[in-house]
Amino acid sequence: MMSFLAAYHPLIDLLLLNCGCAFGQYIVLRAGAFSIANAGLTSIGAYTAAILATRYGIGLGGTLLCSTAVGLVVAILLSLPLARLRGVYQAIATLAFVQIVLTLALYAEGLTGGALGLNAIPKLVGTPTLLICVLAVFYLMAALDRTRLGQAFDAIRQDEIVAATLGVQIASTQVVAFALSGAISGLFGGLIALHTYSIDPNQFGFPMLVSLLAMVVLGGRRSIYGPIVGATILTLLPEIARPLSDNRTLVHGIMLILIIVFLPRGVVDSLRGLSFRKPRRLQQGVASDVPSA
Amino acid sequence: MLAQQILNGIVVGAVYSLFALGFNLIFGVHRILNLAHGGVVMVGAFAGLYAVLAGLPIWVAFLAAALAAGLLSVLIDFVAFRPLRQRGEMEFAALVSSIGVDMVLTTLAQRWSGTQVMRFPFDAFPISSFTLFGLRMTTMQLTILGVVLAVSVLLVIYLYGTSFGRQVRAAAENDRAARLLGVNVTAVYVQTFFISGLLAGLTGVLLGLAFNNVYFLMGEPLLLKGFVVLILGGLGSLKGALVAGFLLGIIQAICTAYLPNGLSDPVVYGLLFVIILLRPSGLFGDTVRNVRAVRQ
Repeated sequence: MMSFLAAYHPLIDLLLLNCGCAFGQYIVLRAGAFSIANAGLTSIGAYTAAILATRYGIGLGGTLLCSTAVGLVVAILLSLPLARLRGVYQAIATLAFVQIVLTLALYAEGLTGGALGLNAIPKLVGTPTLLICVLAVFYLMAALDRTRLGQAFDAIRQDEIVAATLGVQIASTQVVAFALSGAISGLFGGLIALHTYSIDPNQFGFPMLVSLLAMVVLGGRRSIYGPIVGATILTLLPEIARPLSDNRTLVHGIMLILIIVFLPRGVVDSLRGLSFRKPRRLQQGVASDVPSA
Repeated sequence: MLAQQILNGIVVGAVYSLFALGFNLIFGVHRILNLAHGGVVMVGAFAGLYAVLAGLPIWVAFLAAALAAGLLSVLIDFVAFRPLRQRGEMEFAALVSSIGVDMVLTTLAQRWSGTQVMRFPFDAFPISSFTLFGLRMTTMQLTILGVVLAVSVLLVIYLYGTSFGRQVRAAAENDRAARLLGVNVTAVYVQTFFISGLLAGLTGVLLGLAFNNVYFLMGEPLLLKGFVVLILGGLGSLKGALVAGFLLGIIQAICTAYLPNGLSDPVVYGLLFVIILLRPSGLFGDTVRNVRAVRQ
């Protein structure tokens, strides 16, 4: 067991980081907001942590607290104008946000190190810390699932007008979703920075945005197990099937198309749908009740 | 100096316009945000490059690129979008699906080209420069402007002067009503994807010639700049795409000339963010109802 852990140590760390980032993307999609700002929020968290840890020598707890707080505040500020937009317009605006963050990170060389990024960040984070953070986020999501807020998220995603009719405050509910997403993204951005010694802007660009989206779409946007399953499949698949690892993006791309065409609700939600389906006889009975035009 | 910058900006802007026209044709008719359009442009550029390397004249290369990209675009519709059209949740699903297509295209191109930056041969396009009203211009720039203007005029004639165009506009307005009135909606869909691909292929060759490099990621920066054009002009508006493309080219040229190095991209994306918040329908768009509309 120990030797297994030692051999696959980096892979497990990567998996945990991906799970956390996927949760950040999951929570906004679940609340019916079409935001893909998480790559930008994660990079803000990562830069906050890296600057605090290298230049000011602040310890693990303080650094992570700050990057979580910065992610939270930026996400709330971002959500206020985004509440005016819907659908693809929200997606484009958040894509613009990611680009603004990245190009500013490239421009402000004094603060962020420009294209070279920040190096020699102290490694303060190991597998136990990552595991604790992922479990904490998972607990938060599981708790949320049982509250009215979780139900409000689902209602908005399924039909915004119905949700509003049922008394759900659309704007404020989505601000909460953005805030949670920003906090989670900021936290895991900080963890990425304190785990990998160096960060640079390109690591948080379009590819990260796409892979986060892929994880959540693959796993499912409803169930709290969705992001974990999605992150696990997309992280482990290239490792399990070695010949595939050269074609990682090709496999991701093909899987994205196949999943959205054949399992549009994602792996977990589709499986749950199967197990909760009514008995066949009952369905037939209902169908035969309908008068034949 | 300023006039020369603006001229250079107009030429770059013409390429943005051509890109945005193809993109907006699909958005206007299908309401699909086709993120694979950058990938189609890249494939078009490679098709043109290989045609030139095979010893064909440059105009054949343009034709080959346009045809290859057009057919690819139709294929993408069949594989990635057609199965989704049956279902309700088109907006999110089509975006995700198009991202998948883009990943497949770029990876295949990366393996095919061995991650190299490839160039058109030196004599592929005869470049000579001349002076016009005190401004230096190359035949390359003149060709870009000519192709973009010609294509725009042809597109307008097609959409507003022919029966096919009327069918396309009818299907864009309401596909069910169009079908009831006897429009072959499937044929309209194939046509729009094919034409959009043609435009993408031409964009690819012009881009490859103008900047003299063809590589597997060339669609990505274009796609991101393309979004600025789309929002500036209004999603789905062809007139908006054309004007906004030139406008962005000029804005970018002036920013590059007068702002500190590296600040022009943040300014451009900041502009996108501000416009989408203040005037999401863009300069010419009539899309307010779509912006405010609730997802189905």
